Amino acid sequence: MATFWDIIHLLTETPIFFVAIIGLTWGIMGGALPGISASITMALVLPFTYAMDPAQAIALLACVYIGAEYGGSIPAILIRTPGTNSSAATVIDGYELNRQGRAGEALGISLMSGVVGSLFGLAMLILLTEPLSWLALAFTPASYFGLGILGLSVIASMSGGSLIKGLCAATVGLMISTVGTDPISGVTRFTFDIPDLIGGIEPVLVMVGLFALTELMSQSGSVGPAKLNASIRIKLPSWSMMNRLKRSQFIGCILGLFEGLTPGGGGSIAAFMSYNEARRWSKTPHLFGKGSEEGVAAPEAANNTVASTAMIPLLSFGIPSSNSTAVLLGGLLMHGLIPGPRLFEQSAQVIDSIYVGSFIAIIAQIGVGIIILPACIWLVNRPRHYRAGFIFALILSGIYTLNNSLFDLGIALGLGVVGYLMRLARFPVLPMILGVVLGHMVESSYRRSLVLSGGDLRVFLEDPIAVALLSLALVFIIFSLAREIRDARKAKLKEAHS
Amino acid sequence: MNKDLLSGAALLAVAGTYYTWSTQIADSTLSDEIGADGLPKVLSVLLAILAACLIGRALLAVRLHAVAATTGKADEEEEDENAPLPRALGFLLFGAAYVFLLPFVGYIVATALLIGGIALYEGAQRRSWIVPAAAIGGAVFYWAIFVKLLGVNQPMGSIFQGLF
Repeated sequence: MATFWDIIHLLTETPIFFVAIIGLTWGIMGGALPGISASITMALVLPFTYAMDPAQAIALLACVYIGAEYGGSIPAILIRTPGTNSSAATVIDGYELNRQGRAGEALGISLMSGVVGSLFGLAMLILLTEPLSWLALAFTPASYFGLGILGLSVIASMSGGSLIKGLCAATVGLMISTVGTDPISGVTRFTFDIPDLIGGIEPVLVMVGLFALTELMSQSGSVGPAKLNASIRIKLPSWSMMNRLKRSQFIGCILGLFEGLTPGGGGSIAAFMSYNEARRWSKTPHLFGKGSEEGVAAPEAANNTVASTAMIPLLSFGIPSSNSTAVLLGGLLMHGLIPGPRLFEQSAQVIDSIYVGSFIAIIAQIGVGIIILPACIWLVNRPRHYRAGFIFALILSGIYTLNNSLFDLGIALGLGVVGYLMRLARFPVLPMILGVVLGHMVESSYRRSLVLSGGDLRVFLEDPIAVALLSLALVFIIFSLAREIRDARKAKLKEAHS
Repeated sequence: MNKDLLSGAALLAVAGTYYTWSTQIADSTLSDEIGADGLPKVLSVLLAILAACLIGRALLAVRLHAVAATTGKADEEEEDENAPLPRALGFLLFGAAYVFLLPFVGYIVATALLIGGIALYEGAQRRSWIVPAAAIGGAVFYWAIFVKLLGVNQPMGSIFQGLF
């Protein structure tokens, strides 16, 4: 581990400070643009790192990753468009706070919760890389199945008062996830000989269609949002507010730590689960979905924690747990650095640069946020007739960027209609998004497990991680159903009294 | 007609169509016991059951509502804050026009037309100079971000490719 003098040397003799700030700013900008995911933002900067010193290059990529994970929350709060998949859960209460004229407060909470999550993740990365890295290797297909089911278990509490409608939406989401190539046999399903469908429908298209386009369509012709933001200033949470948010941030950090170590989710599962758990443990669960500060803090702490902890299996074993860490792996290999225990011994300066660069980026996030966020709030407070066109153009430009495909634009527009009809019929959209995000993981891991066990279902009971995750999922479902029944009874009693 | 009843019927139709399509999935020698059509078939049956539950619940609600109406206890319909369907679809048509025009007129022109068109649709003053200025300025701004700064290719437009 780096000594104090190593850190001083890094700060004074190398351009790590500027590298961190540039990486962070670039990452926030990329993450804030719909369609430009954290991995694309990193991939765009990758060629520029070729001529850089390896330590600075990898630190730059790590800082871009941190910035992009945070940046995704900005459009989620301001225009109901998650900039990255993992910021989808932030939309629920973040956008609601914006509608109430509290955008500055929501962005401040998201910023500080992101900083808390990132610092926690970095501490875990520095202190626990070795002891925690075993978990990444212990994951079998059966464990992944357990993880997917655990993610799906939150559907019950995200159904907005109608479990049947929530389950319908989740089933349709799972159906969407089956479009494309079958994970086991390679046979194409529901592609109708359209080449653009062979790779499946990207979750971001579903999110943009169901969240952003639906919102734009629903607001069409209205005078303006529920309440315009009177001030464009960022309101950082006070000490007392941070004290109120500590429970939800803690939940986000723990779930983010867990998911960062487990390949596949990319922060989405942690964000949705932490939202669900924050509501369960909150003193004001009724505020969730109506503009709860904790509803912003928990998912933001979670997905920012993942940005750091996802580097644990990458640096220890070279296992990329998400697309973004795969780009980081590409950066390491491009500079002749082989991840693994020897990386820590032979290229200590690279590791130190990642730690120091990440720390600078996390702290600088507050300053950069305070500078750029007021401009973002100002932009979304422009008159509706101009704002709608600008947001629509931004969304369509971002979607096209994904695969340079006009077909993707058509899919997103079609899903906009679906989302609008769902809104009219009062169907919740979140279960559908969860279905799309987790469908592939659940199906492929279930079938792989059975292939490996020769069709023996006991494989799910013999894997301790799978057993733990499936049991947890069962507990979550029972608690959620009990709460739904209790709330429904309360509502009936209230109705009877009135 | 009751919204739940209508959506239940629509979901039943989706389940039926999806099941029909899933029977057409090709078989493979590489396939496992479950097969590529295993999950789709399970999902279509599940959706059909859920849709039937939704329809049943809606029919029950209609009956209870009718009873309540005769006793004067019927609830009033919740106010819908959403834009009417024709208005919302009209908005989306601008997006469809954008997709259609993009390969021909290119990114800058299509984006400018989209921003300007939406501004007018949403009630901007027709004679205002701000509409064309915002449309052109916005298109150039996005072009600078996506094409110049991020290096992402956006269509140049077949019309302009022929000219240059």
